[in-house]
Amino acid sequence: MSETEKTQFTVVPGEAVGTVAAQSIGEQSTQMILRTFHAAGIASVVTTKGLPRLIELIDARKKPKFPTMQISMEKGVESKYEKVRDIWRKLEDVKVKSLKLNVDEDFRTSSMVITLDPEKLSFFELTARQVVSKLSKLEGVEAELDGGAIKVKAKKKEGIKATRTTFVNILDTSVSGVPGINKALIQQNDDGTYYITTSGSNMEEVLKIDGVDKKGVYSNNPFEVARIYGVEAARNLIANELLTTIKEEGLTVSFRHIGLLADAMTYTGTIRSAGRHGIAGDKDSVLARAAYEETVKHFINASVFGEKDQLKGVAENILIGKQIGLGTGRIKLAVKKEDIKKLSEK
Amino acid sequence: MQAEAIDFIRFTTVSPTTIKKMSVAKLIVPDTYNEDGYPIDGGLVDQRLGVIDPGLKCKTCGGRVKTCPGHFGHIELVRPVVHPEFAKTVYLLLQATCSNCHKLLLTTDQIADAQPLIKSIVQSEEVIDEANAASVLTTIEEEDRRMLLIKKLKAVKKCPHCQTQQPKIKLERPTFFYVNGTKLKPDELRDWLSKIPDEDLKGLGIDPLATRPEWLILTVLFVPPVNVRPSITLESGERSEDDLTHKLVDIMRINQRLEQDIDAGAPQIIIDDLWELLQYQVTTYFNNETPGIPVARHRSTRPLKTLAQRLKGKEGRLRYNLSGKRVNFSARTVISVDASLTINQVGVPKKIAENLTIPIYVTLWNVDEAKKFLENKTYPTVLNVITKEGIRKRITEANREEIIKLVEPGYILERQLIDGDISLLNRQPTLHRLSIMAHTVKVLPGRTMRIHVSATVPYNADFDGDEMNLHVPQSLEAQAESRYLMQPKDLMLTPRDGSPIMALEEDQIIGIYMLTRDGSVFDKEETSILMSSVGIYEMPEPEKNGMYSGKAIFSMMLPKTLDYDYKAGQNHVSIKKGKLVSGLISEKLVGSNGLLMLKAFEDYGSDYAMDFLINMAKMALRVTAKAGITISVKDYYNPDVVNKEKDAIVRDVEAKAAELATRFKEKKLDSLPGYTMKETLEIEIMAELEEARSMASMSLNKHIGPENRTQLMAMVKARGNILNFVQTSMLLGQQAVRGRRPSRGYKGRILPYLKRNDKSPLARGFVESSFFDGLKPIEFFMHAMGSRDSAMSKSLVTAQSGYLQRRLINAMQDFYVDENLSVKDASGALIEALYGGDGIDPTKERLARE
Repeated sequence: MSETEKTQFTVVPGEAVGTVAAQSIGEQSTQMILRTFHAAGIASVVTTKGLPRLIELIDARKKPKFPTMQISMEKGVESKYEKVRDIWRKLEDVKVKSLKLNVDEDFRTSSMVITLDPEKLSFFELTARQVVSKLSKLEGVEAELDGGAIKVKAKKKEGIKATRTTFVNILDTSVSGVPGINKALIQQNDDGTYYITTSGSNMEEVLKIDGVDKKGVYSNNPFEVARIYGVEAARNLIANELLTTIKEEGLTVSFRHIGLLADAMTYTGTIRSAGRHGIAGDKDSVLARAAYEETVKHFINASVFGEKDQLKGVAENILIGKQIGLGTGRIKLAVKKEDIKKLSEK
Repeated sequence: MQAEAIDFIRFTTVSPTTIKKMSVAKLIVPDTYNEDGYPIDGGLVDQRLGVIDPGLKCKTCGGRVKTCPGHFGHIELVRPVVHPEFAKTVYLLLQATCSNCHKLLLTTDQIADAQPLIKSIVQSEEVIDEANAASVLTTIEEEDRRMLLIKKLKAVKKCPHCQTQQPKIKLERPTFFYVNGTKLKPDELRDWLSKIPDEDLKGLGIDPLATRPEWLILTVLFVPPVNVRPSITLESGERSEDDLTHKLVDIMRINQRLEQDIDAGAPQIIIDDLWELLQYQVTTYFNNETPGIPVARHRSTRPLKTLAQRLKGKEGRLRYNLSGKRVNFSARTVISVDASLTINQVGVPKKIAENLTIPIYVTLWNVDEAKKFLENKTYPTVLNVITKEGIRKRITEANREEIIKLVEPGYILERQLIDGDISLLNRQPTLHRLSIMAHTVKVLPGRTMRIHVSATVPYNADFDGDEMNLHVPQSLEAQAESRYLMQPKDLMLTPRDGSPIMALEEDQIIGIYMLTRDGSVFDKEETSILMSSVGIYEMPEPEKNGMYSGKAIFSMMLPKTLDYDYKAGQNHVSIKKGKLVSGLISEKLVGSNGLLMLKAFEDYGSDYAMDFLINMAKMALRVTAKAGITISVKDYYNPDVVNKEKDAIVRDVEAKAAELATRFKEKKLDSLPGYTMKETLEIEIMAELEEARSMASMSLNKHIGPENRTQLMAMVKARGNILNFVQTSMLLGQQAVRGRRPSRGYKGRILPYLKRNDKSPLARGFVESSFFDGLKPIEFFMHAMGSRDSAMSKSLVTAQSGYLQRRLINAMQDFYVDENLSVKDASGALIEALYGGDGIDPTKERLARE
């Protein structure tokens, strides 16, 4: 692009880009659907989509309703199904109940006998011993190997209900897999390489697994990404997730609007929501905060701490009836005193 | 009235001494008017507090209803009470200070440590350096550190100063405090708080000049002026007092009884009861929605609206009255179309034009012109004159001549609206900035405001009864800004992504299609009509047979220098030197994605682009009118082939679904990865049934051509899509409730008509009838379920996305582009170093890209 063209297309200083971004995103969100499940027919992990996902991101929820990861494999691994399968085995959350063949519960003695399925054991490359050691770590539970079965004795508890809960907990114990990941699916790219999508996420643990491409692990949870890769990564993630969510609906919003929103949420170094506990609640101006939400609270606190409103923002100036300092309102005309004199003489 | 400039606003609490100083009257009588309907002295509508009855004079300033600003009074409370809204602050202070020596529970060193980080909050005297983004960061950090400090203080068990073991302090909402289980009365609280040294308060970030903690326990109550709480006189002559007045009467009554009882030496129990009652009354006076206490009600059981309720929420003072402004010089009426206007114009009914005014600032140079308006006795005339002294006079026949003589430079004449004036047009909901644009006025007969069809898109308006608002900018500055920045012709590209928002619509697209498709020819007469419709008075190059090709006619509207190439599938559009050589002008080029529109806008400017759009629209409509875009019932009787194919499709789908069901029953279905077999069945059946619709549309596309106007509309993307056609004339397809097939109802079936465990598609909401054929009863119910579901979710989306937009705007409204193209907020914090990473204006984004 030539220099003249560049100037021709540049933004005008003073432009209220925040409002434009908010309107562009907001106006489009009216067209969105409200459903979580949308894509039927495609075998994939359930994720939040449409308006709920948009709200989830903008609210900066600590954990998405449906966390998910996409895990790429290292060069030597990605095209070999067997190797990918090995990694998948390490990921998938395997619980005692998914290994069992049969369970005998004795409520009187508060003990149970779990018969394990050898096929399943070998599939996940586990031994009965590993299961026993996992179970023994539970509080008040004793487990021992008895042939192909595991004898489990729990501490006697009052009432059948309590015993029942203990039994359920025993069966729900994870034997292997990455905590936080419930389900993993192997999927294929167009070029024939494999990757894994998961429901549930745990970046820290996944990154430790050999064969996983350390640069190719994606989670849809900004907080998790911020923790491991820093806010800049989280900013990109938020922007990217917003963009995908909007695009999935067949809507178009310029990336600069989305990027600005993501920047607004992250420029302080932490992720803040766009709501009353985030950007809007952290504003300097008492009046702007009070005009938004929790009016009384803001006035009360402002008076205790003797806060001063500098009246710089948009909301405050509308409130007191002054012109706002954005757009054409940002430009002030200065005239030299002597010039005024000259004019008035004429 | 010009508001005085406000530099800043400082928030503080008010001390009892200040209250007394500001007060003009100590109120002692818990009543309002006497039997004669005259304000009681020392009562709640004491005339020293201002007046609301016309005819009475304020005893403080001598002003009348309109001139007296109102004055504060006060009530002296016999016993102190806790200000309910500050109870949390008080609680914090009690926890942070020693119960014995009332010092902060930190050693002097620790306080010193805390001081510097707190200081900058307290001493926010210096204006935050506008360009200093770091300062904001530190303030936020300090906020956190303050919280940490408070947390630390709560954990301190022993006073580092006097070694006293700290008691456990409890706050029982809303206003009761307990120290080790015994109640701390407000006067004891006040004692404690007043002993906290100023220095220690600073340690907590509290500015002792703004708030001394003992002020949070009320001994004197501020009484707002009467014009803050005016009473209304009912038709029966009865007076009805404001809720605040009612509440204040309650407070004073209890206060008086408490005083009498104390003087009479009543038992402590009775006094304490009354004291608590006084606390209740004061609590509800400040906030009648305080959690934990019963709501104070009016006689009619309606909850009273007290101070907090007045400020709060959508209908509260801040959002309703302060953020929401009401204006003069505006009009509102129904809108309708006018094809002969440009998109820049608005047709204003004469009645409205007669009532709206625009000021003429009389100068040396326009004095004669101004007087000419003044001389008019009818329509474009002057309604009011504002003299040099700022006095507004209405022009009447009696004083017209006299005023004409007086007018000289410096006068302002308010003249009626005429053609060519600038006005702002707005439609709610104002979802984006294009919902307000500047149109030039065209005064027209009739009662509706008229706009060009292409201007409806940014407003999201239609003409089914929509109303719009018109505003007339008064200052020359505002008028200039409107003209230069807000006219639709300059706003044809949306800031959302830079694509044209004003483009050809619906039958205009059909028209352009019919005009420019291959083989479209017009005879001399038709061509003349088309050309003159767009104001071109020369003929295009005729074909050999004396006819004129549509492409040649279209080319007449193009600039002679335009070269353009566009390829999409078989359509190869080529414009050379302003001549459409080949190709069909499609929706892609002139519709809402308007590549050609974009090109015109970029190369020939906004005025040309607007004319181009309007001319195309006009000519296209001529073509459609001539050709006749019409549908008949006949169009929806499908040819036999289609009917046969439809039957085949439906039978096929049913068979496939049945087959899937059997395989499921026999447990032979391969489940999709990550799904159970039951889920897999559902997904696969859904996919099959979905397939039916697309098969149907393929069949329609194959057998029905553009001579069917419904098909044509969908084909050229003028309106609707093939699916609408399929649903009208072939089959409706699968109905969905919550994104799935309907599943709820009775045990094993959805409707009582069905047999249990019916696995047929019909039983789960597959509709094989079309709208044209009519639905079977079962299908009708299924369809109704789907419709209800989508209606419900639509209304939810509007509510949710409305709130989302409010939040987004609130979060980002202060952001602006600085001179160096960085993005900053009101406090000067740097949001982006270079806007969008490239500093390009979003409206010009696509221009820059292409």
